[in-house]
Amino acid sequence: MRQGQMLFNGKWTGNPHGGVKAPQAVILPDPATRFSRTATRLAALAAGHPMAEWLDFMASLARAQHAVAGVMGPLGSPSRPEAEDVIEVTPPIAASVHRRAPIWREGLALLLDGIDIGPAPALARLVIESLRDSGADGQEALADSVLRGSVDAADVGASVFTAAALQVYFTRLAESLPVSSLRLLPRRGLCPSCGSTPVCGVVNESGEVRGARYLHCSLCATAWNHVRAVCITCSQSRSLALGAIKGDSGAARVEICGDCGTYAKMFYQSGDLDVDPVADDLATLSLDVLAGEEGWSRHASNPLLRIR
Amino acid sequence: MELRRRGFIKLTGAGLAASTLGALGFGPSGEALAAAVRPFKLAATTETRNTCSYCAVACGILVYSAGDRAKNAKSNIIHIEGDPDHPVNRGTLCPKGSALLDVVHAPTRLEQPKYRAPGSNEFKPVSWDFALDRIARLMKHDRDANFIARNANGATVNRWLTTGMLAASASSTETAYLTWKTVRSMGMLIFDNQARV
Repeated sequence: MRQGQMLFNGKWTGNPHGGVKAPQAVILPDPATRFSRTATRLAALAAGHPMAEWLDFMASLARAQHAVAGVMGPLGSPSRPEAEDVIEVTPPIAASVHRRAPIWREGLALLLDGIDIGPAPALARLVIESLRDSGADGQEALADSVLRGSVDAADVGASVFTAAALQVYFTRLAESLPVSSLRLLPRRGLCPSCGSTPVCGVVNESGEVRGARYLHCSLCATAWNHVRAVCITCSQSRSLALGAIKGDSGAARVEICGDCGTYAKMFYQSGDLDVDPVADDLATLSLDVLAGEEGWSRHASNPLLRIR
Repeated sequence: MELRRRGFIKLTGAGLAASTLGALGFGPSGEALAAAVRPFKLAATTETRNTCSYCAVACGILVYSAGDRAKNAKSNIIHIEGDPDHPVNRGTLCPKGSALLDVVHAPTRLEQPKYRAPGSNEFKPVSWDFALDRIARLMKHDRDANFIARNANGATVNRWLTTGMLAASASSTETAYLTWKTVRSMGMLIFDNQARV
């Protein structure tokens, strides 16, 4: 603005906060892109990876999830006032109390039919067959134990497909929650939509606040803001360390807490803009192995890679 | 309400066989991974929350140092950035704040008291005792010479106007309170507890 042409009228015309904004507390998932992004990213990461065969299989699982998400369509999420009543005491679609509509099993059947097994091991085919034959009761029981987080040794294989179908169902439920009335839980490390554990954290490079950390729900794919440099499990910050593989880009790190002995994976978009929480978590299993061999426990398992 | 159990797990190369990898027949993939990571180790960085030392805005910063504090290694500050969680600056920093890392490692950074004697043209490192004694002595001389106990009308004013002090902006409320009490008790009026930019 050239000076002297306008009389000063005492009104400030700039941005009163100078562009400094608070980050969005909760970001709801978009089922149209959630699974296709994961599939694309997994396929890209599989190239030249020591676990290429498995990552390719997980990519075809994600493609099948994407197809099911498209067919399932939006589910009748709790209406706004109803959801707000619930939010006062519990996350609106809390995985532990939510009564699943039977449509999730139709999704599971579609998923099992739609997955392109390709060159996958014969064992995977057998697991799919037996899950398909286990009937409604068997599938419901397995879904309950997947959501509880304790799966029998015999069901570890089938739990992957069950979890994948539940992810589609809960993602479709979460998409239309009233985002402005969702509240972060007192235990900040759990999902404000469904109360599940996150799969990992992503440190943004874009968005309202550059560098804000979002945890991504392992079940409904809701993302929520969590303070950085604070343990997501025990909320302590005294003895946190970020571990990375020497010589790596620094896009993937493990945040290790000496207070509770756990670690969680963090992905930095500044190191790689294409980071996808689920795909990158699976493809960086080497970080889990290195942290595990140093004696640290993972904060929670990825439902698509369950350890007995 | 029962929230989902966390189920802490330790993932090791040997443990992969007992995971979904083994159950779905991807055991060889797990073995390949375990072999691939064998030569590697984790390198640790520590992330510490702090406040920028420059001005009264007091922006939050995250300081990264190599090595974790637990392992007794000499830590070295390798990176400083704005703290995105700090309500004042939300990750942003001004050009001075962005250059903090260079201040930390500047070869000209003042790390000990230095003294330039009258008539000399160079600063020499001195002990803290010497520096504090010298400051106290000069303050006492100046106060004894220039202290104003009463004004022209004979009213008691107890003011000392020939010496001033500028204190830090990043100090805590308690430190600021003590600084204020110490300086004001000597009658000093030219005093600011805020290093304005």
